[in-house]
Amino acid sequence: MAIDNRDPLPDLAPVGTGPRSGEVLRLDDLHISVHGGAATAVRGVSLQVRPGEIVGLVGESGSGKTLTCRATLGVLPPGCAVESGLVSFGGVDVTSLSRRGWERLHGSQMGAVFQDPASYLNPAIAVGPQLTEVVRVKLGLGRRAAHRRALELFEAVGLRQPERVFRQIPAELSGGMLQRVMIAIAISCDPQLLVADEPTTALDVTIQAEVLELLQRLRDERGLAVLLVSHDLAVITQLCDRIAVFYAGEIVESGPAEEITRRPRHPYTQALLRVASVGDFRRRELEVIAGQPPRAGEDITGCRFAARCPVAVPECEAGPVRPVPVGERHEARCVLAARAMVAS
Amino acid sequence: MTVITLTRGGTADAAGAPPPRRRRGLRVRVALARIGGGLAVLVPIVFLSSFITYCLGALSNSNPAATILGQDAATPAAVARLDQALGLDQSLIVQYWNWLVQALHGNLGRSYFTQIPVSQSISQRLPVDLSIAILAVILAIVIGGTAGTVAAIRRGGWFDRGVTAVCSVVSTLPAFVVGIILVVLFAVSVHAFPANGYVGPSAGTGPWLSHIFLPSLALSLQVASDIARQLRTSLVQVLDQNYITGAKVRGLPYRRILVRHALRNAAGPALVTLGYDFPQMLAGAVAAEAVFSLPGLGQLLLESAETRDIPVVQGLLLVISTFVIVVNLVINTTLNWLYRTDDGMSA
Amino acid sequence: MSGRRPVIGPGSILRLPSARIAVGVLAVIAILAAFGSTLAPQNPLAINANALFQGPSAHHLLGTDYLGRDVLSRLMAGTRLSVLTALEAVGIGLVLGAIPGIATVFMGRSFDFTANRVSDALMTFPSIFFVVAVTAALGNGLVQAMIPVGILLAPAFFRVTRAATLEHARAQYVEAAELLGASKLHVIRVHVLRKVLPNIMVTTAAMTAAALLTVSFLTFLGIGVQPPTPTWGGILSSDLDYLSQAPWAPFIPGALIAVTVGALNALADAVRDRSGAGTLVASPILPTDLSLELADGDRQSRSIA
Repeated sequence: MAIDNRDPLPDLAPVGTGPRSGEVLRLDDLHISVHGGAATAVRGVSLQVRPGEIVGLVGESGSGKTLTCRATLGVLPPGCAVESGLVSFGGVDVTSLSRRGWERLHGSQMGAVFQDPASYLNPAIAVGPQLTEVVRVKLGLGRRAAHRRALELFEAVGLRQPERVFRQIPAELSGGMLQRVMIAIAISCDPQLLVADEPTTALDVTIQAEVLELLQRLRDERGLAVLLVSHDLAVITQLCDRIAVFYAGEIVESGPAEEITRRPRHPYTQALLRVASVGDFRRRELEVIAGQPPRAGEDITGCRFAARCPVAVPECEAGPVRPVPVGERHEARCVLAARAMVAS
Repeated sequence: MTVITLTRGGTADAAGAPPPRRRRGLRVRVALARIGGGLAVLVPIVFLSSFITYCLGALSNSNPAATILGQDAATPAAVARLDQALGLDQSLIVQYWNWLVQALHGNLGRSYFTQIPVSQSISQRLPVDLSIAILAVILAIVIGGTAGTVAAIRRGGWFDRGVTAVCSVVSTLPAFVVGIILVVLFAVSVHAFPANGYVGPSAGTGPWLSHIFLPSLALSLQVASDIARQLRTSLVQVLDQNYITGAKVRGLPYRRILVRHALRNAAGPALVTLGYDFPQMLAGAVAAEAVFSLPGLGQLLLESAETRDIPVVQGLLLVISTFVIVVNLVINTTLNWLYRTDDGMSA
Repeated sequence: MSGRRPVIGPGSILRLPSARIAVGVLAVIAILAAFGSTLAPQNPLAINANALFQGPSAHHLLGTDYLGRDVLSRLMAGTRLSVLTALEAVGIGLVLGAIPGIATVFMGRSFDFTANRVSDALMTFPSIFFVVAVTAALGNGLVQAMIPVGILLAPAFFRVTRAATLEHARAQYVEAAELLGASKLHVIRVHVLRKVLPNIMVTTAAMTAAALLTVSFLTFLGIGVQPPTPTWGGILSSDLDYLSQAPWAPFIPGALIAVTVGALNALADAVRDRSGAGTLVASPILPTDLSLELADGDRQSRSIA
């Protein structure tokens, strides 16, 4: 079913109050179609984000992680729609939320930062007013109070001259500063969840580290839950508590970050870690995974990685492969991993 | 019609340092320099046009003195005397200079025939054109702005396609044809508005508005159509931009995003279009006066041209050129200000 | 570099259906302009007091006017004056505008600056006022009246040719030619002119439309022609006077004007479409990071330096 805008406003918890227990975000068996319904690009995605948890979605371009992220925000591109499944936020089903509903949700309950911060800010207005606008509209703050809050937030995200930055337009700020501004705006109304779509991809490595550290700090200080999307495994492993690995529109493995990096159970994850040489700096050869991922929406019987998998067996292509538990809150969508669990 | 898009200009350099800002005093000076530069170019044009008219008057074979005296009284002696009285016996440059000096003091001379001061004739008729022009601008912005915005929001829909079709048709119709059509539709067939004539606001706001409404509408439609097309294009582009999505995920209400972010950024080229079309509206005002029989400056111009009443023609041309130039200057300055980057230069 | 074939040929334009209709319409108009008086079914000047304000009939295909004259014949006869004077103005504008437009690229900064400012100033001036002033001085003739119209069309040609020349004159093969010893004139003639021609053609079509509207306006106001000479604008004017008797009447010449102008615009669009050229009829002072996009917003944008 496509997103329907006619539903009444769900009863959402007001900002800043209410218990922060239970899941912040939950996706259940989400299917997303593209090209006006012609192809299914995301299949059977399920994940949960708990309060104060940083969850990372990692995968190649086109693996479906960005679409999933957009679906949780309710900003799927034109032509894309949620076909089936559930998106729930704070225990409330938002899959078919109306525009008004999303307006209430955005900012106050969930914030977002994206890859190219300069393009997500109005180029003609200074950044300060773009923040104060949000707190004035959503929190009803007066002009002075909003200004103060903006400066506080700018300081909290590590901008060194908040008063000066306030007055500058996006073109006058560097990428790192802009991303901090975006984060400041995103958390300005104290949301429960921050969705970050490739927040550091366009930044220098040193700035990248600072921004990631900032996200961590925000989680520690404010209990902010983060859904982080990136194709950079190093970023993901550095920051996240839990990881979900995407391949060809599915989650092939998900679990605690430490476990996945130490003992990945899905061949794709293993290959990914090898290629990214996470943890091993002495590798000399460039490793690649042979072959190409399937086209978006391509119908494949069985495991979607089987064609490229170095350890595939005939059973892999026989029928649909369900995720199986392979550890503490750790699942993998692999026939061989399932066999290994059964055997042990 | 060519349509203008906005691209993002001026990025911070790759190393991340923002470009240096000039001090405030320097910015003001730069701005003044630009205005000064504009004036320096355009003021000579005023002089040039008035001088050309003067020359044209001299080129014409008619002898004003003889015309004024009439055929019977135009003996050579009488003509010579009148020539001297009118200052027509001096050289062209001197005559021109005298006239210009007088004009700067507000004295534009007198009509050859009626002896009414030119400035008086002009100021009598000015309110007519002003009323129509101002109402036309308002109508153009309201009609064009609304049409363009709705067309952009519902792009591809029937309204969008309808607006495009209407705009194409309107652009092939000159203002006076539109005026005639309006007269046919609203004044002759259905007596909703008067077909001609003018009453000032002193006779009551109702009658005044009903007399200027159709002429203003005729004048505004061309501009409205240009604005609508331009705004639609710009707004469609702006709505596709990431920062609109950014504003959405901040939870800002839709209407606010539309007005304070989208329209605000998309309106610029539409204003450029308005500024560009505005002088053409003056020409259209002449058309409106002709169709609706309004006693305005255009009619004055036509009458005095027909009777070769040179002082009136010159005075009118001076006033009109000055007006066009001032309007252009104001519009360009406003556009420069709108599109400034922070160091005061216009991008 | 390519051989001497033209950048755009008639064949490619005619592939567009809109262009075919436009060319057809314009061909009819051209024939009328040349032979209108002879082709007209009736004498355009023949007054018939018994047949005033008649509607369309077999005898009078478009009816009669306030003096009983055949409307169709008057329109056909009037085509010549309107079209020829419009072309006169465009011709003046083309010569006065395109030549400096090309030359300015090669003539140095001060020339360019002056030319630009003059062009800016002229461009925004409504022609009607100058025209009337000219008629006050030089007499009430349409031929004289179109001269100032032509002068005021020149800036459009100037801007277009200047931009197009700028784009092509900086191409590497031009530099190469100059290095090989070719004179500037030779470079212009051989390389630049061909590339600039489509832009000039587009502007010519568009400006002819504008000139035609101006001619109609002038004749409507009674400038330049004496009755009973038929002109499109003049016919409209008399229709206006007798609106109450014949409210349908002005739609006919109005439609004729609209169709001709529409055909010219369509032709301009077709040439623009096929050749990728663009007409620049934009406001004088533009910030440098505005780019111009072609009419229906779907094509590539180019920025002006």
